[in-house]
Amino acid sequence: MGTARRTGAGDERQPVTAMTVLEPWIGKPLDEVLGTLRDTLEDPDYPTVKRWREAGGKVLGHFQVYVPEEIAHAGGLLPLKIRGAQIEARQAEARFGSYLCSIIKTSLELALSKRVELELFVTPPICDAARNLAAVWGRNFTYPCEILYLPQNANSSYAPDYLRHEYDRLRRAVEAVAGRPVTDDDLRRSIAVFNENRRLLRELYAIRRQQPWLLPADEAYVLTAIGGCIPREEHNTLLGAILPQIQARTSRAQDRLRVVFEGGFCEQPPIDLLRMIAQSCYIVDDDLMIGLRWIVSDVDAGGGDPLRSLAGAYLEQSSYSPVQHDLRKPKEAMLLERIARAGAGAAIITAAKMCEPGLEEQVAYSKALDAAEIPYFVSEFEESMTSFETLQVQLETFVENVLFD
Amino acid sequence: MSLTAGIDVGSTYTKAVLLDDGERIVGRGVLKTGFKLAEAARRAYEAALADAGARESDVAYTVATGYGRFQVAFSDVHVTDLTAAARGATLLFPATRTILDVGGQTMKATRIDERAKVRSFRLNDKCAAGTGAFLEKTAHYMGYSTEDIGPLAVMSRSPAAISGVCAVFAESEVINHLSQGTSPSDIMQGAILSLVDRSIQLMRRVQLEPEYTLVGGILRFESMGQLLRERLGAAVNLPAPDLVQMIGALGAARLGRQRLRQVDTCPSPSISPAPLPG
Repeated sequence: MGTARRTGAGDERQPVTAMTVLEPWIGKPLDEVLGTLRDTLEDPDYPTVKRWREAGGKVLGHFQVYVPEEIAHAGGLLPLKIRGAQIEARQAEARFGSYLCSIIKTSLELALSKRVELELFVTPPICDAARNLAAVWGRNFTYPCEILYLPQNANSSYAPDYLRHEYDRLRRAVEAVAGRPVTDDDLRRSIAVFNENRRLLRELYAIRRQQPWLLPADEAYVLTAIGGCIPREEHNTLLGAILPQIQARTSRAQDRLRVVFEGGFCEQPPIDLLRMIAQSCYIVDDDLMIGLRWIVSDVDAGGGDPLRSLAGAYLEQSSYSPVQHDLRKPKEAMLLERIARAGAGAAIITAAKMCEPGLEEQVAYSKALDAAEIPYFVSEFEESMTSFETLQVQLETFVENVLFD
Repeated sequence: MSLTAGIDVGSTYTKAVLLDDGERIVGRGVLKTGFKLAEAARRAYEAALADAGARESDVAYTVATGYGRFQVAFSDVHVTDLTAAARGATLLFPATRTILDVGGQTMKATRIDERAKVRSFRLNDKCAAGTGAFLEKTAHYMGYSTEDIGPLAVMSRSPAAISGVCAVFAESEVINHLSQGTSPSDIMQGAILSLVDRSIQLMRRVQLEPEYTLVGGILRFESMGQLLRERLGAAVNLPAPDLVQMIGALGAARLGRQRLRQVDTCPSPSISPAPLPG
């Protein structure tokens, strides 16, 4: 078991800003590091969060898809992206209907079973299930549970002011937990850390587009998603060290179809499912853990109002997903753009079971792909699925029909 | 010399075929797969090269198929058994539209179009029900070997009714029939009939269309093809004995030839691994 190492003294549960919570990895072979990261990511006990708390750190847990983690970071809290887990939702099943998606239940189960302990929970109301999550969560815990209302109408001229106000409300909630003010300078420093993180993730995705045989989809996912449960500075150090090693790999390129994977914006497919897909084709872009990569370019960390910069970035510098509604960004057109930018020849259009936004979007995606004559494979997944044989044959057959057309 | 290679890493045997640019077989290799799949693929490939009197540098494209396809690191691409069998079967029988592939552990029905592209397919469940393993177990329960199955079934005069195709529960049904004096040949033929009926169910689920082609290890049992014809009420194509095992590898090598042509005439950045601008 690794031990948390922190800079900055303090015996009480105080905000900490620079701490490492991963197992020691520097100097170890790349494949071993990737294996350990995957084990860490799949561990439903969230060991990195436990180490953070054991060192006195506080945690803001937030549900998918997008929450401005910079605000939590600026208050010295660990922003934890709660993404469900492959666990049985024993207690949570009693609190949510059977017709709801898995991630909503397993995320709550993580808290009910005390695998994950928080000081603050935040959820954006991305769908009907998530809209009720904060209230259900709040009835079970004494710590604050907040809904972050991202603007429903991103095209309104009032949207930037509204969102800045909403982010300020989140800042005050963070301050109450941190026990200290979160200053504009704190926010600017955090924005700079996250800008660096975004740059590194863009670099990672550039490798996938340019030399996908060097970085299979499952490994890329692990390297991305681990950022949601460790301090962002540590993620930056990790990516800064790992990416050159990946580029130095000598893996042989195979003759494979390049595809875009769409449908992983909220509930996450099992890593083995990604590994299975990666055996048949190169996933050259995706929307997996899109919340960690939502802002697509640097946020202004200069002398202006940092909350306004963050609000502006959400509205003007952001990616897309089925749970953001912005008339300037028709999702099917954005998907076609993603496919073109990645040089993909096909798309895998998935949705988590019971995910209404994801399933609804499949209709528009299919229509646009048909019109553009881009072949696509439609499927569903669930975070707890463990058998992929039939799906694998279906996908391979699809790929072969494109490849040997 | 510009050859393409197809390597079929099956659960029991690994097969390799080399095709020249006229789609003629110029080399073959067959050996038991064992437990080291990558090694089996390499050795079968080398056997095919030796058979053709060719060198590895003569092979322009290699396609792997079969359940061990992911272990063939030197292949350019890997494909499913379904696609490989479709291309192999249509080389021999161009009008094939439905393929039934029954092997030791699997049963697959595939409907293809006029370009040999897979349009629909169904696989058996994970268990060995309705596969060659079921026939082997039935024979073994009666003290016969796998090699005895074909000759035994041919002697049947009144096939016994075998209700299921479960390799595990076959034992109790076989014992029940033996206790009632049913002959082993009638039991064996009944087992094959049961398997044929299950095969036809699978074919119906892909909306079968003629021509029908039967491939896979099940062809070792002579009565299988005849019974399938009778039950379907239609002709069934059967590969020549020396090609029975090679259909998957043949189809894989043929796909390699097609892919070579595509890459030469119309390279596609969305498929080939050419780097793109960041």
